[in-house]
Amino acid sequence: MSVRPDEPSVGHQPPPSWAPPRTPPSGEAALFPVGAALGFLRRLREGVEAGTDPVSAVAGAIGGLPADAQEGLERAMRRAAGDYSEDEWGFDEEFADAIFPLLEFMYERWWRVQVEGTVNVPSHGPALMVANHAGIVPWDAIMMGTAVLKEHPLPRYPRFLVLNWAFTLPYISLTLRKVGGVVASPYNAIRLLERGELVGVFPEGVKGAGKDFKDRYRLERFGRGGFVEIALRARSPIVPVAVVGSEEIHPKIGESSLLARATGAPYFPITPTFPLLGPLGLVPLPSKWRIEFCEPISTEEYGPEAAEDRGLVFELSEQVREVIQEKLYENLVKRGRAFA
Amino acid sequence: MAGRRVLITGVGSYLGTELARRLERDSEIEYVAGLDTRPPRAKLERTEFLEADLRNPVITKLLPQAEVDTVVHNQIVRRPGPGMSPQAMHDINVIGSLQLLGACERSPSVRAIVIRGSAGIYGSEPQAPQFFTEEMARFYPLRTRFQRDVGEIENYFETYSRRHPQVTCMMLRYQPAIGPATDSQVTRYLGLPVVPTYLGFDPRLQFIHVQDGLEALVASIKNPLRGAVNVAAPGTIGLTKMIRLAGKSSIPIASPLFPSVATLGRRAGVFSSLSPDFRRLLRYGRAVDTRRLVEEVGFRPRFDAVAAVEDYVRTQSSKRVVPSFRDLVPVR
Repeated sequence: MSVRPDEPSVGHQPPPSWAPPRTPPSGEAALFPVGAALGFLRRLREGVEAGTDPVSAVAGAIGGLPADAQEGLERAMRRAAGDYSEDEWGFDEEFADAIFPLLEFMYERWWRVQVEGTVNVPSHGPALMVANHAGIVPWDAIMMGTAVLKEHPLPRYPRFLVLNWAFTLPYISLTLRKVGGVVASPYNAIRLLERGELVGVFPEGVKGAGKDFKDRYRLERFGRGGFVEIALRARSPIVPVAVVGSEEIHPKIGESSLLARATGAPYFPITPTFPLLGPLGLVPLPSKWRIEFCEPISTEEYGPEAAEDRGLVFELSEQVREVIQEKLYENLVKRGRAFA
Repeated sequence: MAGRRVLITGVGSYLGTELARRLERDSEIEYVAGLDTRPPRAKLERTEFLEADLRNPVITKLLPQAEVDTVVHNQIVRRPGPGMSPQAMHDINVIGSLQLLGACERSPSVRAIVIRGSAGIYGSEPQAPQFFTEEMARFYPLRTRFQRDVGEIENYFETYSRRHPQVTCMMLRYQPAIGPATDSQVTRYLGLPVVPTYLGFDPRLQFIHVQDGLEALVASIKNPLRGAVNVAAPGTIGLTKMIRLAGKSSIPIASPLFPSVATLGRRAGVFSSLSPDFRRLLRYGRAVDTRRLVEEVGFRPRFDAVAAVEDYVRTQSSKRVVPSFRDLVPVR
């Protein structure tokens, strides 16, 4: 909260004009305070009229802003000067933190996500989260990440393997990498796990994302079990995750191969609102969500050579698929109606 | 062990001259020869300068006479210099390398060949693994002329390596170089008054500081390995971050318009450095895995990707006329 601890108590007196305005209660805290913005502009004009150079005028005007706005502006200026850090994967923690309030809103208000079993996500060391997948925008991945950050006793940023096509798109590619998305390649997954990261993967892939509405929560084939090979090679536990709610946010009722070819997309979905309402049709429906993190499946005892064993790979892959499918049905019952 | 005898091609380039100078000071190195059509950039103490063109068959006579045990091939042209046609660049790269390998075949004294190649062979691919390891060279089609040149050189070199098992053939795949007093595509790009970028793309880039690039060559000469080795600084840097650190302003251009803008710019004489390879790099970026360099060659670069850019920027700030945003804003 932006109320400074050292601020003197002013009792019933009206606060002096330089005092930062009190922030509204938490729900609206994310909104930019209009009063502060006007005050900033006024001070800026006074500074410029007084004949100071633009840079010190800006610096002076910032001084009068409330603490969080001040911090935000300082951060923006620092970033504009190139002073921010990205890791070798392009993950930008400051950026991820900055957009977190928006994700929190989607999580708490829009989808009213209920979470179970976050303790099953290891708090350190490598782990591979495997989940069911749906939707054009990977909201399920984003909400899984938000769940870990919000509910886990030792929160950590997960990395996600994202559909390759997304990395050919402007803005989407750079946003994805800044929040921890990487190209869905086994090399990336193994490298991340070797570094002890938490990695999320959707073995259904495009088939899952392009599922018809009538097939929701019926898991597709889990590819060739590549995710099991990855986990075996990296000796990392597998955490099956069941996400309920995500398969209703973009009810796909058809697809257009013509538009898919024209845009280069792997498939082009048609929902009741998209592409009918244009970009507005991309707004996800506010279904109610449940996310359950299931008990981790250890791969330690097999050793990395077991990745060559097709039989074992398929067996483990099927085991994970069954756990997720079962938990999906369970959580569907617990949740009740999607749009109650 | 008797002193090593080393021949360097492309000794007239910045890195070639610096390498000769560096080897001259080394007591392990008994003899240094430098081959080029251009004279070395600086006065060299004990390097024998062999004036010859790589494309000319005369080197098949010159090289055996020098009786060297190590050949360092440092004459792969990454971008056509002023007055050099793409055809000439192709000739120097492919025909030159082929001639050199032919000359090595005639020199029984040769024990190791080190080629300063390019990580450009991996290309810049949006769907590629975030770090290329040495085995991934043939994952994607070779899209540009330079890539095909490098691919051809690597093919010849591999064949040579198979036919001559007694010779250690080492292919160094260099990421673009950056650093003070370096003239590379990156430094030219950052030297533009306004830098063009692809709208909505902020690729991860990776460089090698020139100083580290030189030391990596020295380390490879001392400890040659069979096969390919990536040479790059640890870590990556985002394009936007690099541009901001350099205090430049960028002009984002929508991808479909970029080629025509680049062509227009080249005609106007502004964007001479935007080769097709570099354009792909600006859009999709590229990073390589350097575990082999660190663990097997035993060389750890001093500058990481960000530090290499910062070192370059430090030497450039004195040349600026207009102060950059970075100079105006106090950065903690």
